[in-house]
Amino acid sequence: MTEFINRNRRHLTWALYALVAVLILLFVGDQLAGKRAARVVQTLISGVLVGGVYGLVALGIVVINKASGVFNFAHGWMMVVGGMIFWSFFTVSEISVPGALLLSTATMLMIMSTVSWRTLREGRNPLITVGGIVLLTALMTVGGIEFQWLHALAGTFAGAILTGLAVERFAIRPLIGQPLFTAVLMTLAVAEVLHGVTQIAWGTVELNLPIFVDPHTNSRFRPIRLDAFRDLLDGVAIVRVELIIAFVLAIIAFAGFIVFFRYTSVGLAMRATSEDQQLAQSVGLRVRVILAITWAVAAFLASIAGVLQGGAVGLSLNISYVALRVFPAVLLGGLESIAGALIGGIIIGIVEQFGTLLNSSEQVGTNLAPYLVLMLVLIIRPDGLFGEKRIERI
Amino acid sequence: MANIHPAGVFDTTYEQDMSVDRTARDKLWKNLAFVALLLVPLASVSGPLELGWISDQYVGLIARISIFVIAVQGLNILVGYTGQISLGHAAFMAIGAYGSAIMARELGFSFWTALPASALLTGAIGLLFGLPSLRVKGFYLAMATLAAQFIIPWVLRYPLEDLTGGPRPLSVPAPIIGPFVAYADDELTDGEPFAFQAGDPYFVDVISLELTDATAYTVVELVNPAGDVLPYGDVSMTVSRDSAGNITRLTYIASKAGEYQAVVRAEAGGSFKAVVRRSKALSFATDIAMYYIIVPLAVLLMFLARNIIRTRTGRAFVSVRDNDLAAELLGINVFGYKLRAFFLSAVYAGIAGCLLAFERNSLSLYAFELDISIEMLAMLIIGGAGFPLGAMFGVTFIRILQEAFIPFLRPWLADFLPQLFPFVDAVNITSAINPIVFGGALIIFLALEPRGIAHRWEVLKAAWKLRPYAY
Repeated sequence: MTEFINRNRRHLTWALYALVAVLILLFVGDQLAGKRAARVVQTLISGVLVGGVYGLVALGIVVINKASGVFNFAHGWMMVVGGMIFWSFFTVSEISVPGALLLSTATMLMIMSTVSWRTLREGRNPLITVGGIVLLTALMTVGGIEFQWLHALAGTFAGAILTGLAVERFAIRPLIGQPLFTAVLMTLAVAEVLHGVTQIAWGTVELNLPIFVDPHTNSRFRPIRLDAFRDLLDGVAIVRVELIIAFVLAIIAFAGFIVFFRYTSVGLAMRATSEDQQLAQSVGLRVRVILAITWAVAAFLASIAGVLQGGAVGLSLNISYVALRVFPAVLLGGLESIAGALIGGIIIGIVEQFGTLLNSSEQVGTNLAPYLVLMLVLIIRPDGLFGEKRIERI
Repeated sequence: MANIHPAGVFDTTYEQDMSVDRTARDKLWKNLAFVALLLVPLASVSGPLELGWISDQYVGLIARISIFVIAVQGLNILVGYTGQISLGHAAFMAIGAYGSAIMARELGFSFWTALPASALLTGAIGLLFGLPSLRVKGFYLAMATLAAQFIIPWVLRYPLEDLTGGPRPLSVPAPIIGPFVAYADDELTDGEPFAFQAGDPYFVDVISLELTDATAYTVVELVNPAGDVLPYGDVSMTVSRDSAGNITRLTYIASKAGEYQAVVRAEAGGSFKAVVRRSKALSFATDIAMYYIIVPLAVLLMFLARNIIRTRTGRAFVSVRDNDLAAELLGINVFGYKLRAFFLSAVYAGIAGCLLAFERNSLSLYAFELDISIEMLAMLIIGGAGFPLGAMFGVTFIRILQEAFIPFLRPWLADFLPQLFPFVDAVNITSAINPIVFGGALIIFLALEPRGIAHRWEVLKAAWKLRPYAY
């Protein structure tokens, strides 16, 4: 018996997985049997759409993990910071010049001093710094309410870069040489600090971020009704336009990152660093600078995701919980896989929406289903769908 | 850090080398500290001696610190000794707290049986969530415990809502010893009031109302000394029912002094026979009485954790932490020891949760959220992971920050920040200052002293013993 099990362990394991999968399918199918096809299709579509934004959030976590091996627990709060800064520049009609000046000065000083504070004094660097400050301040303030999109984008860009660089500089960089566990704990500490700071600055009330509005009526879009499939689906499936726009923008951001990652020299350097830090250092790459850039890029991705999520479902501190739901997506896709981030995000989005469909009163979709998936992934395939197998040596 | 002895003290036997207290002076200091800790409530304002040297709030504060010391010590066994990160410790505390509360409310367990029972229950569930450690480790395991942190409160909140009350607070009876002095049995007729007295907060009346042949009745008008009809908050009430759902016994324990009155009336068409049994019991409803349960237990559990690392099991834990592959090659059953660490850690969390429930007399799921798990992890890191005293230092440090430093900082910030930044609302500062101070403390400790306060304490102790020489 034992011999039989040992010899056929692989097949038996797969048979067990198949059995579990069939049971889950039967259970879900049974639960869904009472629902109309239109509801199921609607849930599937909104799951994919929600999952697009989740994929973007997961991408930010994967990028940092690839580059430095640190799993970023503060990503959710970076989303909140980005979304809140966007809100401040987007909805406030009069942007205070000192405020904008402060933000752009801090950002430029942070960017220019990434290597060390000494470089600020060298060559043309002072000129570049001042020029950058003036440019950013101008982008943030000039033109009044007409240019609110420009202000908001410039402000979010500066704020995200500042957050990412500051976190890297003051929290992660002092830990070089320490075990990775310490760095992971440090991101938890950073999450707490960002939590407090955002709560002081913007409060706990849900803010209205009217970015996805119909330009003609200046109000929220009317949901699309799939009337054409009425007979086929036994009802009308409804799709929210905000989710579609958020999904498309998230995919564009995703594609933009991939282009940046594959076809620019900085992206090449980032890939080299994530392959092997020592090797990258020995061929002359500045690993420290590249790690800082990675954090800035991740913070920028988090900001975009925060804005999209805030525009689609409402902006409040609760957005940070989205990142907690994305952790299962990251593990499902694989910690090192960029494509896996998107696929994992979409799967978690679908799971979440179906959870809500099956049982909307008990928060099954948001508070339970993603974490059950997480447990399953950890037990069955800890490396995720596309992650690297870890080989360890003593 | 190696054991540093004063000049002239040499280890000549193995027992001496392994001893916790090498010199008589070590032992004396520890015993003195323990006795001083036990004397704190006696010197407090409302203590039995009425000395009034120490404010009452410190008694409750030390008790709450001790509860968290137990919980964080459990985390220390898992994180500090065995090297497995847990982000779900608060959820395990929730199991201990709700488990013991439900045992006491629904199953008629006393505190003394609910404490070990809920600790074992928590340990079993801890084992369940330790199972992924067979395949994953380190950060992946942290993810599994993160899942526990969400799944357990969800289960407590929705499927078990009938037992736990869901998001509403759940009241917990105070622990008692007894009842052991029965002094009166009365027959009770329909509508006749029965009075009972509560005076001493430590030696309370227990009124047990045994109902037989009850068909349909209602209990009305439990009246307090001022004549108000009571909600059941001042008086703890335990209800036992038979299989048909009829009440067979009601137990009242009044802890606030005064004269109470209760009336049982049968509803139309109903009838019952009732016997009132009056007796006395030792109650632990007050902070001072709870102190004498919590603090000795905390000291005992600290002592146990201190000794675990001196055993075979403890050495196996440490070897799993330092290098699990090497440990496996040495013949240590890595998975087994990880599970043992999970079990022990969850048992500590369960005890802490149970004590928390009975100390507060009221439970709410909001006390066991992810933030609390992170806070406990931070307390451990700040105190010193892997040091037996780390839990104590960490919890005390964070609590001092929260109770002394933040109230001092808050009015100043509420005054200053809105002037500097006009968009800041002073209302938000109150709740936001806690995560900032606490995250800031963690950042500072991780960057400057990742080994925590306990390491500094060891250095200090060595320097004291070696004075006036440095080595």
